[in-house]
Amino acid sequence: MAANPSYEAVDFEPDEDDLMDEDGAVEAEASPAAPPAPRLRSAITGGAGDSSGVPRKTKGRGFREAEAEAERTRRFAAKDFESLGSGGGPGPQRSIEGWIVLVTGVHEEAQEEDLHNSFREFGQVKNLHLNLDRRTGYVKGYALIEYEKYEEAKSAINALNGTELFTQTIYVDWAFSNGPIMRRPMRRRSRSPRRRYA
Amino acid sequence: MAGNDQDEFYLRYYVGHKGKFGHEFLEFEFRPDGKLRYANNSNYKNDTMIRKEVFLTPAVLRECRRIISESEIMKEDDNNWPEPDRVGRQELEIVMGNEHISFTTSKIGSLVDVQSSKDPEGLRIFYYLVQDLKCFVFSLISLHFKIKPIQS
Repeated sequence: MAANPSYEAVDFEPDEDDLMDEDGAVEAEASPAAPPAPRLRSAITGGAGDSSGVPRKTKGRGFREAEAEAERTRRFAAKDFESLGSGGGPGPQRSIEGWIVLVTGVHEEAQEEDLHNSFREFGQVKNLHLNLDRRTGYVKGYALIEYEKYEEAKSAINALNGTELFTQTIYVDWAFSNGPIMRRPMRRRSRSPRRRYA
Repeated sequence: MAGNDQDEFYLRYYVGHKGKFGHEFLEFEFRPDGKLRYANNSNYKNDTMIRKEVFLTPAVLRECRRIISESEIMKEDDNNWPEPDRVGRQELEIVMGNEHISFTTSKIGSLVDVQSSKDPEGLRIFYYLVQDLKCFVFSLISLHFKIKPIQS
C-alpha cells in the first residue's frame, strides 16, 4: 500500500511542552522554526486548530482532490445562510414554533409512547422525533422534543436530566444555542503567531 | 471513545451531482464552535436553494460524536470504495481527536452497491453512518426551522 504522505508536519511540535516548562524556551524563541511546510488545506478552516500539539493523522482521497476542494470553498463562502435571529451569547435559542430539547441515553427499545408519558408532565409535547438506527432498526439513542413554552422545556430539563428510563440514565438538555460554544482558553498557546486559521 | 468536549471536532457531508438541472446537492457541516450549516440545492421544477445555519449546544455535538465513534468510521479507508462518477459524489470529512478523514465515493443506491464493491465492510459502515447523520440533521433542521428538508 502506498504510504500515506499526508501528515500535517506543520503542527508537529514535539518539544513544545518541555520548552515551555523550562528555561530553554528562550532559546526556542530565539531560533524561529523553519517556515512551515504548506499545510494541507481542507474545508475545515473555521477555527479548527489542533489543541494538543500532536500531529493529526489524515486519511482519504478527499485530501488529494484540489478541484473538489476549490468548489467546496466556494459553496461555503456563501454568506447568505439564514438563521433565526438571536442576540448571540449563551443560553438556549427558541426555534420557530417552540423550544427543542435533546434527550440522550435513550434505551434502544424505548417507544415514543414511553418518552411521551415522561415528558408530557411538563407541558404539551408538540413534536417528538425518536430516530432509529438505520442498520439495526432500534432506537438510535436520542430523541428531540418540542415544547411551546420556555418554562415547559426548562422544567423538563430540570426534572428529567440524569433520571432513569429503562435502566439507562437519560440526559436532557437544550438543543439550540444563541451563540457559539466558548471553548476554554488553551493552556499555553497564546503566543503562536504563525498558527492562524482563517 | 468519544473524546471530551475540548477535543477538536468537525464534520462535513456532501452528496450531489451535476446534470440537466444544474448542480444539485445536499451538504451540512458541524463546526467546532457548534454552528450547524445546512445547504440543499435542488433545481428540479422550481429553483430552490435552502441555506440554514444555527448554533447547537455542546450536548448535540456530543451526541453527534457518539454516533461517529460508535460507527468506527475513523478506522476505515476510502481506497477501495467506488470513485465519484457522473452519477454523483459523496464526501465525508471528519476531524475528531487527532484524526482527520476526508473520504469520497460515488452515490450508493442500495446495499446491493455496497455488497458488490471491493470493500463491502467499510462501505457498509459509511452507508449506514451517512443515513444516521442525515436523519439527525434533518430532525434538527426541520424542528428548528419547520422546513421539510429534501432528500437529495
